[in-house]
Amino acid sequence: MPHSPSTPRLRMALIGCGQIADAHLQEAAKVASVEVVAVCDMHLDLAHQAAARFHVPGIYDNVDRMLAEIKPDVVHITTPAHTHGPLTLKVLAAGCHVYVEKPFTLDELEAEAVITAAESEDRKLCVGHDQLFDPTWLDCRSRIAAGHIGTVRHIESTLGYPISGQFGAVVAGDPRHWVRQLPGGLFQNTISHPLYRILDLLPDPHPRVEARWDRTKYEFPTELWVQLRGTDVTGSLTFTSSVYAQRVTRVYGDQGMLEVDFDAQTIRRHAAPKLPGAFGRLEMPFRQWREGARNLRRNLWRFLKSEIHYFSGMRNLMTAFYRSIQQNSGQPITNAEMLRVTRIMDEIFADCRAREAGVVEIASETQELEAVR
Amino acid sequence: MNVFLTGGTGFLGRRVVKSLREDGVQVRCLVRPSSDVRSLQNFVGQDLWGGVEIVPGELSNIDSCRRLIGESDTVCHVAASLSGGTAVMFLNTVIPTRSLLTAAAQVGVRRFVQISSLGVYGAAGLPTGAQLDERTPLDSHPELRDPYTYSKIVQEQIGWETHERANLPLTVIRPGVIYGPGRGVMSNRVGLKIGPLLIKMGGSQTLPYTYVDNCASAVKQACLAEGVDGEAFNILDDGLPTGSQLLRKLRRAGQGVRSLWVPRPMIGPLSSVYEWYSSWSQGQLPGVITRYRSDSMWKKLKYTNEKAKAQLGWRPLVTFDEAFARSLAGASA
Repeated sequence: MPHSPSTPRLRMALIGCGQIADAHLQEAAKVASVEVVAVCDMHLDLAHQAAARFHVPGIYDNVDRMLAEIKPDVVHITTPAHTHGPLTLKVLAAGCHVYVEKPFTLDELEAEAVITAAESEDRKLCVGHDQLFDPTWLDCRSRIAAGHIGTVRHIESTLGYPISGQFGAVVAGDPRHWVRQLPGGLFQNTISHPLYRILDLLPDPHPRVEARWDRTKYEFPTELWVQLRGTDVTGSLTFTSSVYAQRVTRVYGDQGMLEVDFDAQTIRRHAAPKLPGAFGRLEMPFRQWREGARNLRRNLWRFLKSEIHYFSGMRNLMTAFYRSIQQNSGQPITNAEMLRVTRIMDEIFADCRAREAGVVEIASETQELEAVR
Repeated sequence: MNVFLTGGTGFLGRRVVKSLREDGVQVRCLVRPSSDVRSLQNFVGQDLWGGVEIVPGELSNIDSCRRLIGESDTVCHVAASLSGGTAVMFLNTVIPTRSLLTAAAQVGVRRFVQISSLGVYGAAGLPTGAQLDERTPLDSHPELRDPYTYSKIVQEQIGWETHERANLPLTVIRPGVIYGPGRGVMSNRVGLKIGPLLIKMGGSQTLPYTYVDNCASAVKQACLAEGVDGEAFNILDDGLPTGSQLLRKLRRAGQGVRSLWVPRPMIGPLSSVYEWYSSWSQGQLPGVITRYRSDSMWKKLKYTNEKAKAQLGWRPLVTFDEAFARSLAGASA
């Protein structure tokens, strides 16, 4: 990428060379303001493979040594979720800005500690809510701003996550897997994306949360339903392992609805027909055909410009974050928003646990009654 | 003899378990807590099952590996990840292997048999028509290969390092493409599958294949044979077909494949064009095809299994025609 020599590039290091690290290293290479200087993993073999494939000079298996020797400007943390808080605190203490993968921390308490540390060290934070910067979501936001669906009233986010997939299968096969030790289990590692897509358009600091999880054939919960109620806007989140992999969000306004499919990179608008009776039945498929043609044209043009990338949102977020450091301007995702998403996740899991415990109590009471009879 | 075996519930591993048991060898079989042990038991059969000890666990660190090896005098490491990105392959293959190798050296086993891959060689650097044998050097640029091959090359490098540094009696088995019932006969060596369409690459290249039962018997021999420490063996069947011959055979068997042919002289230039586009577009199309990878995969080479025959006393007893028929029928005799 061309880079203006007047602005020195920021030296980036990465901790945790697992699967998502590839995306960070791949996208960082496309951002002009970034120079990747080191990778670190407790397994040196993992650090070596990342360094070899992405041409990174520094290879470490010890975070303290890397921070002391490399002195990076920014550190990306792509380790398992339960390590995010302690590692972020350590990196902030070393004077670095931090980009941490989702989920931000293990819980609200940890999030508060991290944010307090960042503010006292005058360092910037970023969390991997990259789908907010995905071109399709940005397009959706501009269509909402242009009044295509009127006032936003409800957002519906669905995450289809077959457990038979690559990561899910590993989690399912290992009872001691770190994902299963998280307070919110599998969901804590996965629902950030569908949740922050809702919260992006649901501004209440404390929406009412109702949530329930359920099990299928696995020992741990694999289905989740969440209802969020704000003052003017509501939201619903569905995580299900029983459908094909999908990432879809529907934004309902008082005049129409926009459906954003992140995998297909399409946006479809639905609204009530303008024509009466049977004519409306012709108008609706015609409009859907027109929406389809619009999406095809848009994606074809993006393909020709080589703009269709799975992690476009991450690149955009990274660019914005590094710009905020260089220009000492506002972060692309505020600390308050990181805290709000973390708190609402805590409330979701607490509500799920409470309901599950309630069900267990009711079931055991019923069994006791049966025994007495 | 008591063999500690990893990957025992897998495609190759279950056949190695059975093959070892048929020779009266006790097998201590590591399984993941989620593994289907009943399926393994049915495959091995009740008569032989008495000599199989099931040990649930993970190769998570050196201490756990030492405990898992227990009193076994031989380690046969078959388990490996077959899919996923490079990081996943390393997490599931390379890192556990490092722990197991170190533990085995500390315990002082009489033999460590490691299942590698024929893909570990630096075939891209060989001239067309050259013979690939055990003296061919390992690929010096493993990071340019696909994730599976990269992980297998590093896995093998770690094996040889431990052999040198800690005097681990290591024997490496490098099978070609392992095929058989349940896995079919098609592979990337014939071409690339894109949806229902096969992009057939060349066609005159010999396919370095080994039928799973033949391969299992070679692994067994590597556990049992004397005087093969520090040796590597290519495991390939006799009478190997070319890509075109395999496709013709499939069509005659009523399993025609819709294919688009890329003539051999075009493979290199087209791979270069794809590689350039992938790079220019910053990965809009993933860099799965590169000149280096296509040279490694589809070059015409000669293969030999003479060393395995001579030193392991191994013979691929199931002929290609028989193996082909069994693979299509989906049942192993």
